[in-house]
Amino acid sequence: MPTPGIKVEGVWKKFRRGDVHDSLRDLVPALARRLVGRRRPADVLAAREFWALSDVSFDVEPGEALGVIGHNGAGKSTLLKLINQIIRPTRGYTEVRGRTGSLIEISAGFHPDLTGRQNVFLQGAIIGMSTAEISRKFDQIVEFSGIEKFIDTPVKRYSSGMNARLGFAIAAHLDTEVLIIDEVLAVGDLAFQERAFGRIKEMSSSGIPVVLVTHQLERMTTLCTKAILLDGGRIVREGTPEECVETYATAVFESGDRGAHLPFRLTAVEVVSPSPVPSGERVHLLVRGELDRGAPPIYDLHLRVRSARTGKVVFSTLGVNCGVGDLPPGEFEIEVELQLNVGQGIFSVETAVHDSSRRQDVAVGPHAHLRVSQSTAFNGSVQMNPVMRVVGERTPRLVIAADS
Amino acid sequence: MSPLTDTMPSITPAAGGGRLLVRRSTAERRSWAGELALAVREVWESRELVGQLVLRDVRVRYHQAVMGFAWALFMPLLIVLSGTLVRVAMATVSGNALAPQVLGSTAVKGIMWAFFAGALGTGTQSLLANKQLFTKLYFPREVLPLAAVLAQCVDTAIGGTALALLLPFLGGALTPALLWVPLLVALMFVFTLGVCLFTSCANLFFRDVKYIVQVLLTFGIFLTPVFFEPVMLGPVGGRLLMLSPISPMIEGMRLVVIEGHDLLRPLVVANAKGVEVLSWTPWYLLYSAAWALGGLAVSMRIFRRSAVVFAEYA
Repeated sequence: MPTPGIKVEGVWKKFRRGDVHDSLRDLVPALARRLVGRRRPADVLAAREFWALSDVSFDVEPGEALGVIGHNGAGKSTLLKLINQIIRPTRGYTEVRGRTGSLIEISAGFHPDLTGRQNVFLQGAIIGMSTAEISRKFDQIVEFSGIEKFIDTPVKRYSSGMNARLGFAIAAHLDTEVLIIDEVLAVGDLAFQERAFGRIKEMSSSGIPVVLVTHQLERMTTLCTKAILLDGGRIVREGTPEECVETYATAVFESGDRGAHLPFRLTAVEVVSPSPVPSGERVHLLVRGELDRGAPPIYDLHLRVRSARTGKVVFSTLGVNCGVGDLPPGEFEIEVELQLNVGQGIFSVETAVHDSSRRQDVAVGPHAHLRVSQSTAFNGSVQMNPVMRVVGERTPRLVIAADS
Repeated sequence: MSPLTDTMPSITPAAGGGRLLVRRSTAERRSWAGELALAVREVWESRELVGQLVLRDVRVRYHQAVMGFAWALFMPLLIVLSGTLVRVAMATVSGNALAPQVLGSTAVKGIMWAFFAGALGTGTQSLLANKQLFTKLYFPREVLPLAAVLAQCVDTAIGGTALALLLPFLGGALTPALLWVPLLVALMFVFTLGVCLFTSCANLFFRDVKYIVQVLLTFGIFLTPVFFEPVMLGPVGGRLLMLSPISPMIEGMRLVVIEGHDLLRPLVVANAKGVEVLSWTPWYLLYSAAWALGGLAVSMRIFRRSAVVFAEYA
């Protein structure tokens, strides 16, 4: 007798970069190629194709909650889309048994010109509720969202927080047998986040199978009974949430290939100081990279510290200039010191190269994770008094500690 | 479009006694018939979603528009006025008096054309315009073009009601032939839906399809008997004009509403030169119905087959 649940069995998913013919003019050559060329078997990669997921399998049974963690581009969203049948696997299969509630893009169906009330019915229908069911639960939904006063106002006048709260309230009232959640724990203010998390916890402890994708590692460990860690489309760790978080937090992952056209790339970031680092202490990091040839002095190393709990960036080194374009070609190492003026928890340090002329990150580098011990109440954005120094050069190249 | 795949839901009894919906998604294809049956079932199960989407489109169209519901009358009215102008010009050139029923004929045919053109306009864009929905959430994608065509039906119903009230003054008569109206309306709906399913999905893969559709609609009005009767083109031209799948629907509507003609009987009329020309044969109806039903089946299949990669292309 089948029970509600999710099964992913030997799933592979192939994607292609670029080459989507966009206008009819491209159709004729594409058709000609298809007629002339041999049909490639589905599991052979053509040029510019890559496996977004390779051989992913897992089961989620009633009473279980699976956490999926991994860096951006690891395949988490692809996996959720496959489970939700928005895309289909190239090989293998996904199976969802039971009425599915997706807490993904919870206000995607809202139309800005319609009122909150009208949108509740629209969004409810989109996620699979019947009109009768929505009518019955309407008061509960509005009460949960906490926007009673604005329910007859067009949602274009809502703040993004109100939007998300109403969207979550609708999704949370769907009678579901299976729950799929993508990063919605980060909506609204802290009080609403707590309520939303409480609601998910309630559904999960009633035995509904849950798949949760999130960057909020601590929330994940409290909610989930097991976890998988994805990297490059593969499951690299499978086990308890704590084990996966530990692997995730300590591993150094390879960087993505964004910014491939640039003459430099960041290859690794490493935490030199022993983990965990006490709150308020300085931590030493080492960023490694390569430079093929000289580049204009507009490219700076950019580090961001993100809280794994809230998903928010608490500190950015923007404004502290440490150029990478004008280094001698070859491999380079940059030492970074940060003062961890943050509370206890897990933080990720994201690296990138910032183009100061365009004011945007042009090459995204690898991430590292920091564990900070001892709790002191720090909140919001903090100053970390950064110091950066190119290894091998006698004098610190640029040591600017803003605000100190 | 290499990984063509399929979803295979099946219902099995759940442990709790209720029914447990099992959806399995693999890279396998299913048969044409199975595909169509699945599409029909899924759309039927999503009928309340279709209702909400139609409500959204209608509300958004009328809520903030300056002209409000008058908008629904504006397009057909414009077509009728242009049609009347064309007929006045023809009457002037030929020296014959303008037949009194011309206004009624143009109005009946104009409203049919306005439906087709309006539905095709919004229907073609219906997928791309709702990209944020189908790239994030699962529901049968057919509901998007279906809702667009149904929203156009609301417009046409308003225009049609207004026209029905005016028809007694425009040459319309209450005859048993009016029983054909529902069938012609249904054929028009089915054909338009089929075309919209195809164009909406083509427009997703090739962004210039909507411009091509606009161009075809601009000139298509002259390739269908909206402004004139097929007999005016003579025996050969008239038949050629009826080759357009919607021509028999439009011309049939005029014959039924204005002439009170029973569509099961052929109609031969003498044109201005006194030549006898075949104006109608029941085969036209069959021809049109074949286009409507066959077109819907083919485009549903194309739509289903490509729907599995919509989210990857959008």
